[in-house]
Amino acid sequence: MPKKILIIDDDPVIVKYLMAVFSDNGYETCSAGSSMEGLELVKKEKPDLICLDIQMPGEWGPRFYRKLRKDKEVKGIPIIVVSGIDGDHAVKDAVAFVKKPFDPEKLIGIVKNTIG
Amino acid sequence: MDNKLLLVDDEEGIRKVLGISLADLGYEVLSAENGEEALEIFRRENPPIVLTDIKMPVMDGIELLRKIKDENPDTEVIMITGHGDMELAIKSLKYRAIDFVTKPINDDILEIALGRAHEKIHMRQKLRDYTENLEALVAEKSAQLVEIERQVAVGQAVEGLASMLRNLAGDLEGGLAYFNEMPCFVSIHNPKLEIVAVNQLYTERLGDKVGRGSWEVYQGKTGTRAKCPAAVTFKTGKGQRTKASIKYAGGQEAPVIVHTAPIRNQSSEVELVVEISADITEVKRLQEELRQTQQRYQQLFDEVPCYISLQDRQYRLLAANRQFNDDFDVELGAYCYEVYKHRDEPCPNCPVAKTFEDGRSHQSEMVVTPKSGEQNNVLIWTAPIKNAAGKITRVMEMSTDITEIRELQDHLSSLGLKIGSISHGIKSLLAGLDGGVYLVESGLSKDDPDRVKEGWEAVKTIVSRIRKLVLNILFFAKERELKPEATDVLNFAFDVAASVESKIKAAGVELDCDFDTDQGEVQMDAGVVRLALINILENALDACIEDLAKKSHRIGFSVKPADKHIIFEVSDNGIGMDRETRESLFTLFFSSKGNKGTGLGLFIANNIIEQHGGKIKVESKPNRGSSFRITIPK
Repeated sequence: MPKKILIIDDDPVIVKYLMAVFSDNGYETCSAGSSMEGLELVKKEKPDLICLDIQMPGEWGPRFYRKLRKDKEVKGIPIIVVSGIDGDHAVKDAVAFVKKPFDPEKLIGIVKNTIG
Repeated sequence: MDNKLLLVDDEEGIRKVLGISLADLGYEVLSAENGEEALEIFRRENPPIVLTDIKMPVMDGIELLRKIKDENPDTEVIMITGHGDMELAIKSLKYRAIDFVTKPINDDILEIALGRAHEKIHMRQKLRDYTENLEALVAEKSAQLVEIERQVAVGQAVEGLASMLRNLAGDLEGGLAYFNEMPCFVSIHNPKLEIVAVNQLYTERLGDKVGRGSWEVYQGKTGTRAKCPAAVTFKTGKGQRTKASIKYAGGQEAPVIVHTAPIRNQSSEVELVVEISADITEVKRLQEELRQTQQRYQQLFDEVPCYISLQDRQYRLLAANRQFNDDFDVELGAYCYEVYKHRDEPCPNCPVAKTFEDGRSHQSEMVVTPKSGEQNNVLIWTAPIKNAAGKITRVMEMSTDITEIRELQDHLSSLGLKIGSISHGIKSLLAGLDGGVYLVESGLSKDDPDRVKEGWEAVKTIVSRIRKLVLNILFFAKERELKPEATDVLNFAFDVAASVESKIKAAGVELDCDFDTDQGEVQMDAGVVRLALINILENALDACIEDLAKKSHRIGFSVKPADKHIIFEVSDNGIGMDRETRESLFTLFFSSKGNKGTGLGLFIANNIIEQHGGKIKVESKPNRGSSFRITIPK
């Protein structure tokens, strides 16, 4: 059964891009365009990995990240942060902090190392 | 040499024979037959040598010897004794006879005795000469020494005077090294109207004149022996002040002012005259130079864009430059802290106080209140000012207004933050472009036209976002000057609507235009106002697209004339804004759109409208929609 990745990003272009990259490498994907939607989907879809942008309208990225981390149902799920801002210090226990623009092969490498 | 000889003997035969022998020896012989007669001749002729028999009537030889030696000790007396008169002979030696010869007289022995007498006379003469010469020599050398001493003393006096003048000049000019340049010729003259001593400058400019006539350096009437300043001073005994013309060693002439002063000895006769000549042209040049220097200092003091003041230990202002006077209510004698900061007591950490304490310069930054009432940041430097004794009596304070620098610093640091935030927007755009390219490429290789189409749409979206960002940045980067011209408002509104209509309709949003037909013209820079309105309309569209709650969206765009204004209104039923967003709406780089916004659009729109003297008013409620009211004066 393929592993599932949840993409949370407000930019539909980036969402499409990431979905294509992940599915081309054999992963199942789902996506959310906002933090609120993201939180709902985590519970509904139970992804194996979350790919999160920390710069979105609404809640401040790092704060949302901490909220996700504290949530019982999300706790064990590894998170890769993909963002255009420098903020790795704010999301310390993330699996990786990938800066935009990113190399898709490198991103896949990290995903493979994390969930196989 | 005196060759007289007195021969005394009572025997005539001996007188004759001996007289002939003595005459042969070259003597002028005087003769006497007894002591009395001999003494008489001796007193008259004063012969240097006396030859006398001892045994004679009336007055014997011994008696004669004693009297002669009494009257003239330099006379040499030779005694003639008979055979066996040894006792008498010895007695005569006691009375300082030079020698004795015994009868019968041997010529050789007589000659020896005479030789001894002569030698003694010669020795005595020589001794006397020596003694007298030595005295003369001592007198001569002493005179020379005295003269040298006098010259040394005069030289020292001149040097002392010069150094005193130098010190004086130093005190007056705060150490300006003008003295060496001062055209002051100092010379000392003696009553023979000879120059005795001069200062160094005199020798350098006028030549080595020591020992020459006092009048020689002067031209015309002053250049004569009788009329030169030194001569007049010796004659009148009074100091002179006169104008004259002097001749330099190089031959050129220059006008001088000559001062003289008599120097009197203990008996108050004028012994020496001090003469000081100053080159007038040179003095004038120096005066002019000094005046200009002072003027330059004053100018600098007044013109520097700083506040400069001089303060005493009580922080009272003793001097203030023009800038200080212009910006503050300066009253000399007022306290620095009153004038600068309207305080009643000295400021804590006052740099002037520190400088009075340790004699060093101090720096500090303070906020002061000038006449205008604004609060200004100033950077203050202090410097100690010492009196001749090295004690700090004043402190100079210089302050520079750095308010603008501080503001610029704040502005720059916020700009730095904001440029940081814009750069991550660009990174997101690049990532999006990568995404579009990836989709197109992978779609092509998989022969999946849907994916290619999707990718191409992504590329187009990103490209349009990049265009918007770049245009906004270019606009922001350029300080534009408005070019207002009469613009037909209705045409203008239609033009704006047409620019955005297709985009709005493509998004499935309705554009509702309501233009009052009778608008007339308004003075504005149509190009930039159009940009501002399009920006606001595009924001309205974004707000509608974001809003997923409502089924249909519309954007209203209207233009209405008011009293002296034109009012554009853009309204939408999109997502609306909370208060925080509404309030920071026009801030540079504020964006509520996450990756999609640049934070430039409304900032620029607001600037454009304000430049036209207009206003943008915003009403908005979350989930209900927003309304932008743009007012531009006619």
